[in-house]
Amino acid sequence: MTSIRIVDLEKSFGEVRALSGINLEIEKGEFFTLLGPSGCGKTTLLRTIAGFYRQDKGDVYIDGELINNVPAYQRNTGMVFQNYAVFPHMTVFDNVAYGLRVRKLPKEEILRKVSAALRTVHLEGYEQRTPDKLSGGQQQRVGLARAMAIQPRVLLFDEPLSNLDAKLRIEMREEIRAVQKSLGITSIYVTHDQEEALVISDRIAVMNQGVIQQIGKPWEIYADPQNTFVAYFVGKINMLTMRLGEGAGQGLRRATLGGLSLLVPAEGTEALHEAIVAFRPEDVAESVRQDRQDSLNTLSGTLKSVSFMGSVARFELDVEGQAITIDRHRPREADMPQKGGSMSFEVPASSMLLFDPNTGRRVGKGAQR
Amino acid sequence: MSAAEHAPRSRGRRPDMWSLVILAGFAIVVVFLIYPLFDIFRYSFLDKVTATFSMSNWKAFFSKAYYLRAFWHSILIAILTTFFSMVLGIPLAFFTTRYRIRGTNLLNTLSVLALLSPTFIGAYSWITMLGRNGFLRLLFQSVGINLPPIYGAFGIVLADSLQYYPFISLMTAGALMTIDRSLEEASENLGARSVKTFFSVTLPMVMPSVTGGALIVFMMSLSNFGTPMIIGGNYLVLPTLAYNLYTSEISQTPGMASTVSIILMLCASVVIVLQQWVSSRRKYASMLVNRPIVKRLKGVKSFLAHLLCYGIVFCSTLPLAVIVYYSFRKTSGPVFQPGFSLDSYRQIFFDVPKTVTNSFLYSLVAVLLIASVGTLLGFVIARKRNAAVSVLDPLLMIPYMVPGTVLGIGFIVAFNRPPIMLSGTATIIILTYFIRRLPYSVRSAASILKQIDPALEEAGINLGSPPGRTFRTVTLPLMQGGIISGAIMSWVTSMNELSASILLYVGKTMTMPIKIYLSVADGYFGTASAMSTILLVVTGVSMFIVTKYFNRGSETFISA
Repeated sequence: MTSIRIVDLEKSFGEVRALSGINLEIEKGEFFTLLGPSGCGKTTLLRTIAGFYRQDKGDVYIDGELINNVPAYQRNTGMVFQNYAVFPHMTVFDNVAYGLRVRKLPKEEILRKVSAALRTVHLEGYEQRTPDKLSGGQQQRVGLARAMAIQPRVLLFDEPLSNLDAKLRIEMREEIRAVQKSLGITSIYVTHDQEEALVISDRIAVMNQGVIQQIGKPWEIYADPQNTFVAYFVGKINMLTMRLGEGAGQGLRRATLGGLSLLVPAEGTEALHEAIVAFRPEDVAESVRQDRQDSLNTLSGTLKSVSFMGSVARFELDVEGQAITIDRHRPREADMPQKGGSMSFEVPASSMLLFDPNTGRRVGKGAQR
Repeated sequence: MSAAEHAPRSRGRRPDMWSLVILAGFAIVVVFLIYPLFDIFRYSFLDKVTATFSMSNWKAFFSKAYYLRAFWHSILIAILTTFFSMVLGIPLAFFTTRYRIRGTNLLNTLSVLALLSPTFIGAYSWITMLGRNGFLRLLFQSVGINLPPIYGAFGIVLADSLQYYPFISLMTAGALMTIDRSLEEASENLGARSVKTFFSVTLPMVMPSVTGGALIVFMMSLSNFGTPMIIGGNYLVLPTLAYNLYTSEISQTPGMASTVSIILMLCASVVIVLQQWVSSRRKYASMLVNRPIVKRLKGVKSFLAHLLCYGIVFCSTLPLAVIVYYSFRKTSGPVFQPGFSLDSYRQIFFDVPKTVTNSFLYSLVAVLLIASVGTLLGFVIARKRNAAVSVLDPLLMIPYMVPGTVLGIGFIVAFNRPPIMLSGTATIIILTYFIRRLPYSVRSAASILKQIDPALEEAGINLGSPPGRTFRTVTLPLMQGGIISGAIMSWVTSMNELSASILLYVGKTMTMPIKIYLSVADGYFGTASAMSTILLVVTGVSMFIVTKYFNRGSETFISA
């Protein structure tokens, strides 16, 4: 069943187009994330759903009801704010009870609902504390409890974890996810953190410049990006704009860039003379053995820099004048290559993505994508 | 909620509460500022006798020495007052922030009390000390020093400097306390001696604050009416000239008084514009990591530093102490008798109790108006930015550049004829208090709101609370402390207001400051002292409440 439906939404701030042509359907109980760089319109979209902005064009439906003209305070959406927005002059209890008191619920019911909400976010016993005595993470739990206590039709999260430190962020995102699943409330979550989006979401909409670039499950967004923006924004990727030559059999086609030559999947690129050839650093197979030099799609380059990131070592190489990044898993210090030394690696055609350089759209991909 | 579905697609903008507030703001500005100020402007072009258009007033101002002299007097007094305030304020700020001076809080409190007390009290007190038979004059005479006469420039500058220097000392101290220690350490690390460091690093860093304070002092002394009125004698400055002209022109059109008012307002505007400019480019981004070191002085050095700081503050508090002392002296009519008594107080409560109740009542009503209207307009300015508000915002700041004397003349010429007849009423006095204080109240409410995250209000709305209820349950409680301490400041200034109300009062609407002025003029120093003491106590108690219960530092008093 559809919980949120957005049709042809447009919004400008003066000259700036903040949202254009937004169409979305979010299922009941779904955890849906708006992902994109700052200024992409994700927060504008969220605030339009909450009713803090009024769209220039288009419709917003919640549970089938058109809410364009419903003021923010009657929309029954529970928002969790980036900077918590916990009322500093009220106790934890009063904060969580705020929306319930507005709804004029009987005292016992308020008491019951506040306790339940605080139990869910593990803040039992904190009822009489004031917010200045709470840590950032605890304040955000109050924010979450307060938003869900009113049993909203949808929970709206506006980068709720961006003010927390790295470790707490991971803890909290798992908690948010667990709470959301147990309550089954439809949720829209705004973030610029791609890892957070991949971990937490049922589906993701990647946004840029006010336009939705792609909607899909986390796996699809990462493995099957529909354009260069999505490919570039989610995860690390190498992109080379290469000239396409004749076919090479087995569904492959020759692509060249300066002294660089690769065999790439031919399907979908028939009409093109140029393509952006893209592959992720982790899909590269490092050839340690020198005798594989001339095998399929083997490249070698000079090592420019190494970033050691624990489970992965990332190498920046110069290959025929192009910067290419490759990953080595489970690196060990003894095997680490020297800066300025030469490294060989193989780029399997099956892991490649091909984009039209003029439109940025994806035109082809390898068999394993 | 379902009704919304049937509503038209593009929501018709019905006037909400905030639109009404904006409208009311414009109404206030137009009726109580633009209308009276325009009236003054109009009168300045009317011939005294024939009441037809003429440039005669303007010609007279720029050709007659009598008028021009007052202009130059005003400028001279303002410059000298500013200079001496800096001479007193900067060293005081430096010593109290950088060296361990015992009782710094006491020093700050006393200088703020001197600053907030009515100017005419200080002036009148200096007369009792340095007037023809003043005890200090006689004391100096006995050791062979003949002081210049107190009436005139000497007295005005003396009283003004000792009243206004806290603007400079407090603002400079504030800046000195927020210079990161490492900046001065860097200078010394690079080889500069401490004197060199003071002049090449410390002073330039606090200069914007010093300049800002200096311009406030300049402005205050330029538009000050009480001091020159009481102590100036024949030495006229623009506010006293305008007052004299108005009271002597009363049967004719007040053309000359209007012309002088406009000149005075123009001078004030120039200073305000300068001050805005300085404060806009003010302040180096301060990353205060390490507080400056407070050095401990020893022996003679410590003694001298204490002597300097206490000396300055003593001189500025002395006039207040003298007033309190005289209020308890035995009197018989205008003459002081040996011994103490409560005669002067008795006299007030038996003879002019109405004056006391008037002051309290008018100020109370004005404060309620100021706080409520100021808060609503402040909210609109901070939260509801649109084209109308952008026009309203600067208009609301006009009273900053209208000296009390000018506002008083404007009110009296504009509101003693239809359509608005207010002269002789309590309303007109309350309205002057209200208008004079409104910009401060609006500014302070807006700045409090800027520190309140708008997300808090959004959270309230998001949880189902309509805008009005959200304002009441979320915004207002968070603003409360700031509003109340601002209201108390408004209360103090209203209680002590003289320059506008003296033009507007009639017998039954007399207030304490006016009565003090009249008593001094008639030589009834006992009554004047007792009434002044009451005002001082009100000022002191208000200050105490603000610092004690609202945890505001001295900076509240100079910004408000």
